[in-house]
Amino acid sequence: MGLQDSSQDLSTEMEVDAFRRIFPLRFFERHLSESLRPDGRQLGKARDTIVNLGLVSTADGSALAKIGSTTMLAAIRMEVMTPSTDSPDEGCIALEFHMPPICSPTVRPGRPADAAPVISKRLSDTILSSGMIDLKELCLVSGKAAWMGYLDIYCLDADGALFDAALLSAVAAFSNLQIPVVALNDNGRIVAITGGKDQDNASITEKEAVNKEKRKLTLKNIPFSLTCILHKNYILADPTTEEESIMDTLVTVVLDSSDQMVSFYKSGGSALAYSSAIKSCVELARKRAKELNQILGEMDID
Amino acid sequence: MAAKPGAATPTYSPKLVGSSRLPIFKDSDLDWSRPDGRGFHQCRPALLQTGAVSSASGSAYAEFGNTKVIVSVFGPRESKKAMVFSDVGRLNCNVSYTTFASPTIGQGTDHKEYSSMLHKALEGVIMMETFPKTTVDVFALVLESGGSDLSVVISCASLALADAGIMMYDLITAVSVSCIGKSLMIDPVTEEEGCEDGSFMMTCMPSRYEITQLTVTGEWTTPNINEAMQLCLDACSKLGEIMRDCLKQAASASEE
Repeated sequence: MGLQDSSQDLSTEMEVDAFRRIFPLRFFERHLSESLRPDGRQLGKARDTIVNLGLVSTADGSALAKIGSTTMLAAIRMEVMTPSTDSPDEGCIALEFHMPPICSPTVRPGRPADAAPVISKRLSDTILSSGMIDLKELCLVSGKAAWMGYLDIYCLDADGALFDAALLSAVAAFSNLQIPVVALNDNGRIVAITGGKDQDNASITEKEAVNKEKRKLTLKNIPFSLTCILHKNYILADPTTEEESIMDTLVTVVLDSSDQMVSFYKSGGSALAYSSAIKSCVELARKRAKELNQILGEMDID
Repeated sequence: MAAKPGAATPTYSPKLVGSSRLPIFKDSDLDWSRPDGRGFHQCRPALLQTGAVSSASGSAYAEFGNTKVIVSVFGPRESKKAMVFSDVGRLNCNVSYTTFASPTIGQGTDHKEYSSMLHKALEGVIMMETFPKTTVDVFALVLESGGSDLSVVISCASLALADAGIMMYDLITAVSVSCIGKSLMIDPVTEEEGCEDGSFMMTCMPSRYEITQLTVTGEWTTPNINEAMQLCLDACSKLGEIMRDCLKQAASASEE
């Protein structure tokens, strides 16, 4: 593949791969000037997204989300807790994002990745403040027992746009969640009712299943996010790791299903976000939210 | 409103745990049927795939029944720790579990014992002199633990190393055998491992018929050990065939 005319002598003689490694910024700018990216995408287009539900049999709800090569596995397990006295009717969600050493050459075992706690906190804030989950639905017995949902998200392959993929997998896992049917025991403990076995039903005679109807959570205002890179006057949606490493200004917009903005995040970077850039990012995020809503909608039908 | 999971909110799982099936002994007969209906000398069907992780030099995904493992290989790359020149390469292994790998909620920490056993199994088969001064990192993540975890990790690791192009003397495969009473069961599941009297794990190079690692724990009689060894060698060579097919398919798929 020949390079177009260039003022630099060195770059006309080099192979493409070497040029890509040694002059990454120029390599990308050559593509951007033609409104393309090296993988052939348009500037505002996100990569192919796939969501699969219910893969982890030990969890009450799970989902695998892939955006391009970035792969996230989210799993929710429900446990019972005593709710706090100032909110006796509410349960709780504990979210944690892990980047195991398999996902990227930059992560070492024993030392958590730099990005992991940041994404963990942002995800937690986004999910709880978007109002997607009504914590009152997690209540079992007011003041005595409520559900605590442990949501663990594992990054299996890190190729850029980690926050987007993690949020998508978390939302999909919640939509897949089947809360186990439980009843209140004589001792005041909550026990699970398993359909087949009869040995322990003797002790659960009086109390009916506490939550026979409420097996699935109602999700309203589902948040969807899009991360973009701002570089000079280009806006690139859904960056890969290579793009993120060369161009440092990342902007994440989170919108919910009614087009309200849930969060806007830009942390430093050399490019300034003027209001025109912000508006374009929000526009791109809006389109992306529609795509993601459709993908999730197709999943729920199963 | 948000949880502070580290703080003192104790939670408990409502599921009925601990109702395990005990083997029923009738004199010297053992009335044990395997939970998944397999024969005593039958391994679980194996699903193997290479190229699971695009950011790694080589990777593999293995699914043996309910045991699901991903292994990534990075390297040969610069050793951050080694200050001394060495004319052979170094190998660094790490095995970790997810928090949802086992039915009871765990912490998902690194499993140091398995990491060191993986290292011992691999160091006999990798040609370390082909990458002096550098390190090859082998990282494994157990997504779901359904029994025989370490054997699956070792086989998957050797597939990932082959995918990464690291030079080895041969592929290695690992199989474990459980002894319950007088019966031997190959490729045990978690339930069987929980009530076994002895466990036997063997890692071997199928084409060369050489064993790189052998771990025997518990109560074993000599005839049982011999039988276990024969079972394992046989299963290892069959698993080796499956792994070779997987690599051939991956190679021909990439040529298209």
